[in-house]
Amino acid sequence: MSNYVDRFNAFDRILHWTVAISFFLLVLSALGLYAHPFFGYFDLFGGPQQGIMVHKAAGVIFFVGWLLLFLRHASDTCRFDADDRKWIAKLGGYLSRKHQEIPQGKFNAGQKLFGIFAIIAALVMGATGYIIWEPTAFERGLTQFALLLHAIFFTLSMVGLIVHVYLATVGNPGTLEGMLYGQVRKSWAKKHASKWFKKVAKS
Amino acid sequence: MKRKAFLIDTTLCTACRSCQVACKQWNKLAAEATVNRGSYENPPDLTPQLYNQIHFIEQDKGDEMRWLFINRRCMHCSDAGCVKVCPSAGALFHTKEGLVAYNQDKCIECHYCVNGCPFDVPRYDAKRKVTKCHACSDRVQNGLLPACVKACPTKTLKFGDRETLIAEAKAAGKKLYGENDLGGLGVMYVLDDEPGTYRLPKNPAIPASIFFWKDVVKPLGILGFWGAIGVAALHYVTVGPKRIDETDDHSKKGGE
Repeated sequence: MSNYVDRFNAFDRILHWTVAISFFLLVLSALGLYAHPFFGYFDLFGGPQQGIMVHKAAGVIFFVGWLLLFLRHASDTCRFDADDRKWIAKLGGYLSRKHQEIPQGKFNAGQKLFGIFAIIAALVMGATGYIIWEPTAFERGLTQFALLLHAIFFTLSMVGLIVHVYLATVGNPGTLEGMLYGQVRKSWAKKHASKWFKKVAKS
Repeated sequence: MKRKAFLIDTTLCTACRSCQVACKQWNKLAAEATVNRGSYENPPDLTPQLYNQIHFIEQDKGDEMRWLFINRRCMHCSDAGCVKVCPSAGALFHTKEGLVAYNQDKCIECHYCVNGCPFDVPRYDAKRKVTKCHACSDRVQNGLLPACVKACPTKTLKFGDRETLIAEAKAAGKKLYGENDLGGLGVMYVLDDEPGTYRLPKNPAIPASIFFWKDVVKPLGILGFWGAIGVAALHYVTVGPKRIDETDDHSKKGGE
């Protein structure tokens, strides 16, 4: 018997990395607009105008890709039970070295909250991005507010990204495999998502 | 260098529009076709081809007609919203005379200045580059007056050392608009009525959204980025990762 259990299928993995790559393109092409010290990042794209073009294209790919990825897992993401509340109360056991047994489904409560935050952020970034796409198309007050919201959710998304990358890589060894090859170790599944593991072990 | 400024005494203006024409001539701006809207005001607003404009306020008061005129243009703010939001250093900038000029070669077409201006002044031209009154910075640097001031026959438009202009106006008992707003405007008015009558904001300021964006969110964002990395690193070396005990796979079921 294999030591591994299937977690994400090929479509999910390709979609995730498409979303990830478009996110990094969005960040790199946005930095030049964010603050003067980062203006040089536009050189990666051949110039500011080209950078803005890449930003717009990557924005559409990210929005559609992430919306699709979210919807594919919405039923796992948007349902919280008593164990999830326990996870939130104990902050997932991340503040202590001692192992705490909190049974979790396919996604733990933190992942669910991150997913919900990320879809809200994507909707806000999509809506405000649409308004500032052609910066004189809408009324000035609305455009100014959209620019502010776009910056606020950019900031929040960067913090979210750092937490996501940390917890999915070095913070939880074995997690990244699920997104790379689609499988995680059974020992990983028992430790991190015991309810989900019981369900897939049965079938 | 002493800060230069315009002083515009609207009470002297006869709306001859020499300023509009002189500006077009010096800056090589083409004429535009407009339509008759039932007003002498023409064109009705600043355009990419019109850096200054005489705005007509036409008030019907029974048999009498009250006519007010004001020369509208870039206000050359000291605390300039356009310069604040411009991502491309040097695309919009203060000259050594304190006037707000621009370099179209550095304009990246983001339109932030259009939305950052408290007075709705910057326009984009057919090449999709920023345009606006630059106070004829080329003429000023060579000791000449801006074209509009040179052409003004009634001395409505004055240009010179800002301090001197303020002192002269005050000595003549005139009330100034823009002396202290936004770090002191580079265009000050003597008005015949409330600022609102002339479509001027009573207390001009950087739009609130723009202020929060650039002065609050931007620094917090950089702090948040490095803060999150710091917290993650701190977590890793204190609490540490959630490692999987490798024997888990084998011990409980006697190997798989």
